[in-house]
Amino acid sequence: MAMALASKFIGKSLKRKEDPRLIQGLAHYVDDIVLPGTLHAAFVRSPYAHARIRSIDTSKAKTAPGVVAVLTAADIGSSIGTVPCAAQIPDMKAAPRPVLAIGRVRFIGEAVAVVVADGRYAARDAADLVDVDYEALTPVIDPEKAIAKGSPVLYEQYKDNVSFRWELEGGDVKKAFAQADRVVKQRIINQRVIPVAMEPRGVLAEYKPGEKSLTVWSSTQIPHLLRTQVAAMLGTPEHSVRVITPEVGGGFGSKLNVYAEEALAGYLAMELGKPVKWIESRRENFQTAIHGRDQIDDVELAVKRDGTILGIRCRIIADLGAYYQLLTPLIPTLTGLMICGSYKIPAARIEITGVLTNKMATDAYRGAGRPEATYLVERMLDLAAAELKMDPVEIRRKNFPAAKDFPYATPTGLIYDSANYQGALELMLKKTGYANLRKEQAKLRKQGRYMGIGVSTYVEICAMGPSSAMPAGGWESATVRIEPTGKVNVLTGASPHGQGQETSFAQLGADLLGIDPEDVLITHGDTSIVPYGIGTFGSRGTAVGGTAVYKALVKLREKLSLIAAHLAGAEPGEMVFEGRKIYSKEQPKKSVGIQDCITAAYIAKTLPPGVDPGLDATVFYEPTNFTFPFGAHLCVVEVDAETGDVRLQKYMAVDDCGNVINPMLVDGQVHGGIVQSVGQALLEEAVYDEQGQLITGELTDYAIPRAGDIPWMETARTVTPTPVNPMGVKGVGEAGTIGATPCLANAVVDALAPFGVRHVDMPFKREKIWLLMHDGKRAAKQSSGPAGAARRSKPAKPAKRAAKNSAKKSAKSRRAR
Amino acid sequence: MKLSGTHTFSAPPDKVWTAINDPVILAKALPGCERLEPDGPDRFKAVVRFGLAAITGKYAGSVELAEKVPPHSMVLKMEGKGIPGFVKGSGRLELRAKGKQTELSYEGEAQVGGMIAAVGQRMIEAAARKIVSQFFEKFAAQVSGK
Amino acid sequence: MIPSSFEYQAPRTLEEALRLLERHGDEAKLLAGGHSLLPLMKLRLASPRFVIDLGKLRGMSYVREEAGVIAIGAMTTHAEVASSELLAQKCPLMVETAEEIGDVQVRNRGTLGGSLAHADPAGDYPAAILALDAEIIAATSSGTRSIPAREFFVDMLTTQLRPGEIITQVRVPVQKPRTGSSYVKMPQPASGFAIVGVAARLSLAAGGKIEAAAVGITGLGPKAFRAEAVEKALTGKKANEKLFADAAKHAARGIEALGDLHASADYRREMAVVYVRRALNAAWARATGKKA
Repeated sequence: MAMALASKFIGKSLKRKEDPRLIQGLAHYVDDIVLPGTLHAAFVRSPYAHARIRSIDTSKAKTAPGVVAVLTAADIGSSIGTVPCAAQIPDMKAAPRPVLAIGRVRFIGEAVAVVVADGRYAARDAADLVDVDYEALTPVIDPEKAIAKGSPVLYEQYKDNVSFRWELEGGDVKKAFAQADRVVKQRIINQRVIPVAMEPRGVLAEYKPGEKSLTVWSSTQIPHLLRTQVAAMLGTPEHSVRVITPEVGGGFGSKLNVYAEEALAGYLAMELGKPVKWIESRRENFQTAIHGRDQIDDVELAVKRDGTILGIRCRIIADLGAYYQLLTPLIPTLTGLMICGSYKIPAARIEITGVLTNKMATDAYRGAGRPEATYLVERMLDLAAAELKMDPVEIRRKNFPAAKDFPYATPTGLIYDSANYQGALELMLKKTGYANLRKEQAKLRKQGRYMGIGVSTYVEICAMGPSSAMPAGGWESATVRIEPTGKVNVLTGASPHGQGQETSFAQLGADLLGIDPEDVLITHGDTSIVPYGIGTFGSRGTAVGGTAVYKALVKLREKLSLIAAHLAGAEPGEMVFEGRKIYSKEQPKKSVGIQDCITAAYIAKTLPPGVDPGLDATVFYEPTNFTFPFGAHLCVVEVDAETGDVRLQKYMAVDDCGNVINPMLVDGQVHGGIVQSVGQALLEEAVYDEQGQLITGELTDYAIPRAGDIPWMETARTVTPTPVNPMGVKGVGEAGTIGATPCLANAVVDALAPFGVRHVDMPFKREKIWLLMHDGKRAAKQSSGPAGAARRSKPAKPAKRAAKNSAKKSAKSRRAR
Repeated sequence: MKLSGTHTFSAPPDKVWTAINDPVILAKALPGCERLEPDGPDRFKAVVRFGLAAITGKYAGSVELAEKVPPHSMVLKMEGKGIPGFVKGSGRLELRAKGKQTELSYEGEAQVGGMIAAVGQRMIEAAARKIVSQFFEKFAAQVSGK
Repeated sequence: MIPSSFEYQAPRTLEEALRLLERHGDEAKLLAGGHSLLPLMKLRLASPRFVIDLGKLRGMSYVREEAGVIAIGAMTTHAEVASSELLAQKCPLMVETAEEIGDVQVRNRGTLGGSLAHADPAGDYPAAILALDAEIIAATSSGTRSIPAREFFVDMLTTQLRPGEIITQVRVPVQKPRTGSSYVKMPQPASGFAIVGVAARLSLAAGGKIEAAAVGITGLGPKAFRAEAVEKALTGKKANEKLFADAAKHAARGIEALGDLHASADYRREMAVVYVRRALNAAWARATGKKA
């Protein structure tokens, strides 16, 4: 059903209802919740990436002022289960993570002991007094070396560090490559990044022994799943555990998880009989909250001379880290599923090797496996275009499925719901004046200025998802309750944390009931108030959570329609809800105020026969498919040849996320995603040194983009509603990180084309770019023509290695001096 | 982190060799050394305060002299842990006579873990080099003072 | 992010601060803004027993002209330096440098004296102070002394300051006619500290010849320094872009460059050349009255 609704508010950019409290400092985060008698926890964390724990001496810490308890794994015994992983891959090695390390630490920052004291300062001071004797073991850092013969292993019970191998093949891949005029090959590295939510993690737990009830306040994206898992880890009945999610200062996937600290806080509160709070420091957040990406992708694309793509093959080495968090092994498989991008690629083969290394676990970071897929396929399209001397736009046009081809089945087994890829691309080209940009580029090149134009056309998999394809259910719940005074409460099982659903769901409620958005209050994130829900991630908040709200609203409309028809003396039939009135579509004069109907529902004296009192509807909505939003992005960069500095000058995003409830919120999601992509493309990289020390351990060394790094971002939309849900909405939360990263990469490589560069790995740090430009210059001086061309067809050195080489060089020259 | 360099001492190799093996001289030369006590043959327990201006950290650990080939070469190993994390280093020292002087060349590797590694990478290498050269300067003073 | 416990003292007068510093010696650190000290303390990389806050001292925050010299109180914040009308007119290099430091919060809290005493190898002020041939006035209970900028920086995080001394004032000369200056830097993308920062000052003779050239470079080595080889290549020559490009090639001569995650030593040396040239061109444009 399309939106044949009154749309006084839907489709309008209402200001966010959330913002006044946020910008006035009136919002409550976990740390703002103060319970009397609260104890504070501090963790003793491993300074080694890989070590055996010989002994832990807690005696000094236990007698320190204010200390209530000091616990190690030995004290906990089997009282707390291991950290849960919901994603299972056949034959995957188990890598259970205890909440405190038992006998061995496997990454920097792994918790070894916890100190609980009557104040945060006392806890922190005492943590320094815990003496841990470690026996250093050889760390396993490089995932390729980790799977090579003879590598030390993380788990003694296994002979290697391969967690799993996963394969997927669709179409006739052999034939595709046999028939190809050319096979374009490239190793593409998608570096490890850190989500960097503004608010680090935090948890507060309170146990009431009388009621035997445990309440956990946590900065999480998934309150209900957290409740189930914490109850299971603690062996406590789930109905006596309550999880409350106060304001969450950013998640980006890093809080789509169940962490050791959350279960420990609950355990400590139960054991000690007092509330226990733990607030994470930025450094702990960097070391011990999940990381994202971290893949090495060896890709091959089979193409015809005219640019037609016949097939794609990809070998992925996915660095999983030392243990699995909630979805760790699942993430690279999403890359596999989406590897064909928005192109009609008839044959695809993906082989994934999940590798265990002495690092923090990777997991879902905004986009979760799909940015990696889009990145590699979009880079391959540009590489193929360059080899075939085609315009990057042309090769894309050539390979799109047509609008009439939808629903479109991919060789990886997905059914893309609806799309018009050409439409988005053409709109983007028109809005940016693509042809003129190319002319300007040619002009600047003659002046020795290096402008690059990047294009990406993406498709993403959203609205996660049908339960059959999700590890822990993919539906969502909603309850809509119209109170006797006409105020509306919407309870959503999704757990929005900044996306703006308190506003967009109010817009839905207002239009469906013909009332004002101010009269619709959205409640979320409290497992004792809200029916069980799945949470907010995977661009599902509106497409799945919103659909549940929509369906609950429709149920109440139906009931109100019966009451209104009865009160107005109209024939039961289609009723219109508008301006706080309900009237018959056929007989508009048969009208009654909505409040009269609500009152009737509660006073229950004038209800039509067969209609129950009350106005309360709960819906559990199960989607039939994912949705597949898409878009076309373009950006312009200029590279400073003297410094290698990449300056982003223009960004245009055309996105199609189906119908839009609040365009401002959609723009905001797109903007934020693009900025995070700028982070990954230009600045960010979680760097572990050879010993497994995370040397980008604080924001002083881990660079994230700032306002000044970002030009004005232009956005536009095409609208292709999805048939998957009644509102035709697809989801947009991750579009920016999916579409923008390859767009930026393609622009940088395009800028460097005159230097014979065909590929460079992210992040495009100045020195790396500068080296490429200067090596290129030297190469051009030495020989021109054929040699240069030969260089071009050779895969570029992986940038990691290039950087290492240059580091080596400088070490040598220092010695020489 | 690799560290290497050469220092020249105005004393013959055997004298330099004796000095390196003297815990009293070692303790005086080691910057920030608060304690150095024998702990078996060629092994010492040590408490050292490494630092640079406001940034200091106290480390407790061991110093070991290994693979000794008197008076030509040895491997000097150090290991310590403290609140900022741990430090670990091992370096090969070689002594060569140069006239009346001794040229000492060293090549080694140092490892830093914990807080300093996480936030100090900007200065860590320069600081380590500085500490090593301080050591040799003080050591040279001790040798020539004898 | 919780420091070890320490005792906080907030003297009201310089004399009192000096007395406290003398009494506590090594166990005390001076807090003069705190944007370097407090992060170190929170990470427990510095754990002083006493923190003597100079923020409450009266009369340590000012910019005033004294007989051809601009005197800046040690506790003057970067924001105050950046917005000083007097400095903008008479010593614009200080203004331009202060504007480049950190972000708004840092500039509102950090102070000139604190920054110089900390002597971060990538701090911004040291380059300007050197290029201006400023003087640093340090006090002890027995009197004050003046330290020329060129002698002030000794090594990484190490200055000429003796135990018990407090910087009270920085004196920068009033800019002469036909003089232009400029501070340009390549910031480290995360911290904003200088990968390379160059402060240049050029004074021209009537005919366009360079009468005096001063180039201070920060970020490149363990301490900020004057690029004397560059200055020598400029002095007495007729200013032009080619001259600047040639002279800039000497930027890193004799310097043991630092290298880190963000920029290797080799790259820093190359960037020093680029930034020296850029700073010289900008200073020249200003000396000749052109905007830049």
